[in-house]
Amino acid sequence: MKTGIFAFTLSIFVCFSARAELKWEQTQVELRPAVGDKEAVGHFKYENTGDKPVRFKSIRTSCGCTVAQTQKEEVPPGEKGEITATLKIGGRTGTQVKAVTVDTDDPAHAVTVLTLKAILPDMLEITPTFVYWTDHEAPKPKTVVVHPGKNFAVKELKVTSSNLEFSAKVERKNVAGDFKIDIEPKQTTRPAETTLTIQPDDSAKIFYVNARVMNAPAPQ
Amino acid sequence: MTPSLLRQALVLVALAFLPGIGEAIYYRDKVSWQSPIPASEMVTLTQARAWGENTIWVDARPDEEFARDHVPGAISLNEDRWNELLPQFLEKWSPEKRTVVYCSSQSCNASREVARRLRAEAQLKNVFVLEGGWEEWLKKK
Repeated sequence: MKTGIFAFTLSIFVCFSARAELKWEQTQVELRPAVGDKEAVGHFKYENTGDKPVRFKSIRTSCGCTVAQTQKEEVPPGEKGEITATLKIGGRTGTQVKAVTVDTDDPAHAVTVLTLKAILPDMLEITPTFVYWTDHEAPKPKTVVVHPGKNFAVKELKVTSSNLEFSAKVERKNVAGDFKIDIEPKQTTRPAETTLTIQPDDSAKIFYVNARVMNAPAPQ
Repeated sequence: MTPSLLRQALVLVALAFLPGIGEAIYYRDKVSWQSPIPASEMVTLTQARAWGENTIWVDARPDEEFARDHVPGAISLNEDRWNELLPQFLEKWSPEKRTVVYCSSQSCNASREVARRLRAEAQLKNVFVLEGGWEEWLKKK
């Protein structure tokens, strides 16, 4: 009986005496980058509240577009630090949720998943972003609808075609602030393509629509 | 089995469900890592290869990975340089062709996102995501 009590006490003592514990200030970060930002950077702060050092074994991200790094490889007891996760915005749109998986030698919390959520501002919603005409199809205009995003008011759209074989006519579609762009090719008897650049008011942000007259189908 | 044992078992099962229910309520608005994609929009490597010349392969991985190696004839289209790369893809696209998008592995999400944008924004039809991605291609090279 005495041996049992001793073993139990010892195991409790061992469990609580040498404890490594990495406490996270937050495991989820929500970011709202501004229009034109190139990156979104999240900071995940931690503290070793145990009395044993904690070592990071690996830090992995769910996407090649996100890079995560820690300030230190090993966190001594009582020390603080942070992991920064940087999302490359590039041509991404909408809400981006990326995971950062942190492996440590802390047996109680060997794996922690950090979440970086970036809500990218959608200044314009363009549908569709591509129009085409098949070989010898009637060269009638095709319409693209431009809808300003939430919290964005657009007075004017400047539309430019990279190829003069296509014309683009912009009109305000409704009171909700939508625009329509009628794109028309001069001909559909030979292949042609253009990229239309769309600039809302004097914004530095440019949007694109592609248009193309297709090749004649290859003979079978 | 006595009624009391059965009752105890039911209580234990109910207790086991509690954390799961709590988590489901707490994380109800969280987005999953992989956007849901219907099975009809996925394609196996065998199926995609059977389409032959009628397939456009799209590599959704970052530029460095594409530069290292890629499916022969594949076009690079990733979200890092979406606006620059999209016209190059559209130049090769035609309505009768099928588009197969891939990224690094089964667990990556880039191919799903690229395929979703091609369908929703460019309104293209016949856009598929390759099951297993580049890893699968290497295995069955």
